[in-house]
Amino acid sequence: MLNPLRSEGDAFRFLLYVIVVFGSIIAVILIARALS
Amino acid sequence: MEAASIAHGAHDDAHGAEAHHGPIEANHSSRVDAPTLGMLLFIISEIMIFGAFFTAYFFIRVAQGDPWPAPGTTIPVAVAGFNTAILISSSFTLHWAETSIKRGNRFGLRAGILSTLLLGATFLFIQINEYVHLGFAPRDSAQATIFYGLTGLHGAHVCIGLILLSFATIRSFRGHYSPEQHKGLNVPGIYWHFVDVMWIVVFTTVYVL
Repeated sequence: MLNPLRSEGDAFRFLLYVIVVFGSIIAVILIARALS
Repeated sequence: MEAASIAHGAHDDAHGAEAHHGPIEANHSSRVDAPTLGMLLFIISEIMIFGAFFTAYFFIRVAQGDPWPAPGTTIPVAVAGFNTAILISSSFTLHWAETSIKRGNRFGLRAGILSTLLLGATFLFIQINEYVHLGFAPRDSAQATIFYGLTGLHGAHVCIGLILLSFATIRSFRGHYSPEQHKGLNVPGIYWHFVDVMWIVVFTTVYVL
């Protein structure tokens, strides 16, 4: 199980997940704004 | 009789001192080692601090329904986006440094940690430059207070991270780390990635939403 507070490697992998999730949120927001 | 007992006790003490030199060994009851546990508790407390600031932010925007940013002010989203890319890059270079030392690659370690330090310093410099050119002060509105509060709190964390990384950089150039022992890089690394994660949340909420 991923524990970002266990090691640098796990923290980095958690960061990658956060980038993907928040990147998707930002993309959806920008697309919605462009369409409206 | 009493004097003999005291003398005997003194002899025992002297014998005990010979058998055990230095301070008593610390009791490690946790499965997590002390430096990592310390960083874990520190980061948990940091999440609570950021949580308090985000509560104020969402109170203004959601509960109070105030416009964001305050009328007549603009927030430089493009500059912040560029700065976000710089900070995310610094996490990649730090991970490169960590993986390099695990393989015994000292050049990769030094290049990675130095790049991380420079990218972090660049992020901070751009943020300070952004503050100078924003055109509004924290006292101007509630939105401005929260903007400076959240971004400034994060900037303070970058500053702390840079101090920790500068220690790790000096140590790496002195040849302190090895594939087996690099805790001094691992623990600040966890903190630096946490600072990056917090910035992604701050950037999304303050600049994009």
